[in-house]
Amino acid sequence: MTRLDQLSAAQIASGVAAGAFSATEVARASLDAIEARDAEVQAFLQVSADLALKTATATDELRAHGAKLGPLAGVPVAFKDNMNLQGTRTTCASRMLEGYESPYTATCVQRMLAAGATPIGKTNMDEFAFGSSTESSAFHPTRNPWDAARVPGGSSGGSAAAVAAGEVSIALGSDTGGSIRQPASFCGVVGLKPTYGAVSRYGVVAFGSSLDQVGPLGRSVTDVAIAMNALVTGGRDPLDSTSQDVPASFSAHLEDPVEGMRVGVIPALMEHESIAPDVRKGLADARAALEEQGAQITEVELSHMASAIAAYYVIGPSEAFSNLARFDGVRFGYQEPGSATLAEQTALSRAHGFGAEAKRRQLLGAYLLSSGVYHEYYYPAQQVRTLITEDYRHAFARCDAILLPVAPTTAWHFGEVNDPTQMYASDLFTISLNIAGNAGVSVPVGSSPASGMPLSAQLQGPAFQDANLLRMARALERGIAKKGLHMPDTVAPAFADRGGEL
Amino acid sequence: MKKLPDVLRDWEAVIGLEIHTELTALETKMFCDCRLSHTAPPNTNVCPVCLGLPGALPVPNEKAIECIVMAGIATNCEIMERSLFYRKHYFYPDMSKNYQTTQGPVAFCMHGHLDLEVPAQEARERPDFSVRKAPDGSYAVPIRIMRIHMEEDAAKMVHVGGGEGRIGGARESLIDYNRCGTPLIELVTEPDLRTPEEARLFMEKLRQTFLALGISDCSLENGSMRCDGNVSIRRRGTAGVGTKTEMKNLNSFKSLHDALAYEICRQAEVLEGGGDVRQETRHWEPSGRRTVVMRVKETADDYRMYPDPDLAPFDLSDEFIGRCRSRVPELPDAKRSRYLTELGLSRHDADQIACNPMAARVFEEAVAIAREMAPLIANVMVNIAPTAKAITSRQVASLARLLATDALTFAQAREVAEMVDGTDEDPETVVDAYNMRQSTDIDTLAPIVDDVLATCVSQVRQYENGNKKVIGYLVGQCMKAARGNGNPKLFNQLLLEKLGV
Repeated sequence: MTRLDQLSAAQIASGVAAGAFSATEVARASLDAIEARDAEVQAFLQVSADLALKTATATDELRAHGAKLGPLAGVPVAFKDNMNLQGTRTTCASRMLEGYESPYTATCVQRMLAAGATPIGKTNMDEFAFGSSTESSAFHPTRNPWDAARVPGGSSGGSAAAVAAGEVSIALGSDTGGSIRQPASFCGVVGLKPTYGAVSRYGVVAFGSSLDQVGPLGRSVTDVAIAMNALVTGGRDPLDSTSQDVPASFSAHLEDPVEGMRVGVIPALMEHESIAPDVRKGLADARAALEEQGAQITEVELSHMASAIAAYYVIGPSEAFSNLARFDGVRFGYQEPGSATLAEQTALSRAHGFGAEAKRRQLLGAYLLSSGVYHEYYYPAQQVRTLITEDYRHAFARCDAILLPVAPTTAWHFGEVNDPTQMYASDLFTISLNIAGNAGVSVPVGSSPASGMPLSAQLQGPAFQDANLLRMARALERGIAKKGLHMPDTVAPAFADRGGEL
Repeated sequence: MKKLPDVLRDWEAVIGLEIHTELTALETKMFCDCRLSHTAPPNTNVCPVCLGLPGALPVPNEKAIECIVMAGIATNCEIMERSLFYRKHYFYPDMSKNYQTTQGPVAFCMHGHLDLEVPAQEARERPDFSVRKAPDGSYAVPIRIMRIHMEEDAAKMVHVGGGEGRIGGARESLIDYNRCGTPLIELVTEPDLRTPEEARLFMEKLRQTFLALGISDCSLENGSMRCDGNVSIRRRGTAGVGTKTEMKNLNSFKSLHDALAYEICRQAEVLEGGGDVRQETRHWEPSGRRTVVMRVKETADDYRMYPDPDLAPFDLSDEFIGRCRSRVPELPDAKRSRYLTELGLSRHDADQIACNPMAARVFEEAVAIAREMAPLIANVMVNIAPTAKAITSRQVASLARLLATDALTFAQAREVAEMVDGTDEDPETVVDAYNMRQSTDIDTLAPIVDDVLATCVSQVRQYENGNKKVIGYLVGQCMKAARGNGNPKLFNQLLLEKLGV
């Protein structure tokens, strides 16, 4: 008997196309795995079983009629719950949108479906993507499949956990300051934040419009590349004026050797005091693996990295305040009953609809944009943004990718990080990338000798060189596998044999 | 309260206008593909974008940018290649995102002007000597335009149960999002206007300009063109700036003039009584012919303006601006002076035709058919068929020719114009079909005149005794005898000849 989670996305798609198994059987296996595993993981906010089976049946009918199937035919995919998918709710893990039925489908979701994917459900997240642990979900926490006492990271914690637990093959997340890469790292899966503009944001509930980017999480670089092909097929999205044309050629050169390519390291960051010893070991292994694959290591500099967190926590909350202003209880979402005036209804709907972190960020944004202080915070933050972008430009003139930690530590225990600023500080290595708009990927590089938790390394690349970045990530994955530190397609051991038989 | 001319002897008014114009010529909204319509049932032209649903994103309407650039070129503005959309935040249900997408410090169009010609009869409101007046009292002043920026309109709110649709006392408030996201251009003048009449003329001129551009139907009545007025007053001869008030609900040229006139007089009364003018927004009540306080501005609103991260900065190419420039048609001022100098039209006819793009088009096509008859064609347009809805240039030229050859009286021409309006019939054919053609053949008319003179002996005697008016009766008798087909001018001429004058 095969188990769903033993197959890669490409194997599922080719198996469905060849008739080795049907899309419906795959969908049932995914739903069965969720049945067996998700009570513990709690990765999902909504499992869309009917929609999944309906879509899978349609895929099978297409095949029966002799039609050519898409590259993701029958592949079970989960979507972060800030992505609209008609037929499901889009709650952003907030009371504000509890029960909110998606009135339309996001472009990124639509493109996964167009490639033949089966929509399994919507995954848990930090409320409106504000957070790094998924603990700020208004509904329930998500547990790390590698250790149920630990967080899965965030804000795309549900997506990372669902993939790590083998419930789905691929999940989409969104990354505003590390929200794909950090949970991917915590859960031992591959997570790509594409270059800003590579993937359409249309239909994804906005947090920070100039920072947000949708990307895939999978159990191998190969699966992530296939998902990227689907996400950019169709070209520039006319519904997102910040989106760009990107060729769907992420798989073509994935296995090419990286001999002679240059990987930059920043000594000051690689030895940053905040980095835990096991993460340091993972980084050393990653560096060695890349060198063994023929890449040249070279030192580069990102001199304004230290200002990235400050700039991010000005730009992000400012945009969040603005984007979340529409949640006033008038047209949709939570509406305070029995209010006497419009002002009272607006105020109380927002007071009772939003959780603490969502309120904190909006209040911060409202302050930062106010006319008295705009020139002291928002304006300089944008200047810092220019400096950081320039830093990257200079660095990428000297290398093809930069090797960095994803987070200073492996996944922490629930309740361990309570202070918001402490949690913000953990974004140190991911945030500058969103500010500059470049691409970055989190790749598993082994497990912690101390805790057994997954270790990951981050590779960052120049804008719109995402395919090249994945090629480097694949080389890293190969090198790590060769060393026997981590195998692609690995499912968190505690769940690998529970349900999901095909 | 003193009358305006008395007030303006002691005080000078400083007036600036903010004029919003809906780009009704466009088919779709500013940031989505929803259709623009004033008549569709409520909330039928809506989508995730204009409803501000979570996840929706704006995509700018290129045609709207073309329109505003054309407006800028037509008002002598500098076209800014680089500009941005900003978000302007305020919580109110008519703005679905709770922010309005508008422009920041740099708008698409900056630093323009329109030259205002104030005719003699309308120049009386300006008693000062700061403008040079022509011998007849008329004068010209340049009115500077600060900027024209692009923005989206809000939804329409309907308050049910209160008085006159006002929110006060309303039982419920309904929102129609059809209008939400309508492309709007806002023109802001410098405070260069000095009289209510100048403000009215500026608004009229701007309306004619925008109509000529074809970017809007510019209906004040339907609200596709809306004007707010800012006014303060200062002692004549001083340069200080008084506290201004803002006037709303100026939805006709008359309201604009009368509200400003009222407000100038009211402020003068307040100041002359030793009081202070408060900075406030006032609502013009046409029924009471007065302005009333809407809200008092004690603190400046903080809209938390910042660049919209969903919309990339604009970098208009020379090619784009050039294309817009080539689409700006000849504007009313240029048309008017060409009609006067090259086609020999009267001032009145030139004015009437130049400011109406439809009329100007028909007129110029007709002139292309028969250039030598331009003044007569204008006469047909302005006096014979001023209310025609769909008269063609061919029909107008044909009518002009019939008049030129005295084949039709003016009264008959009006009748014929009415008959052919909206059809493709040639007035020549109609005239013949109804046997209306005036005979101008002397050989046919002369015997009729002889007959009438022979029959109407007593009238002829009266004429000879000095009652010259009786000639009308004799012409009438000739017309009757010719069954309406004789040219009355010729009959008149022949009668006078034969009566030996």
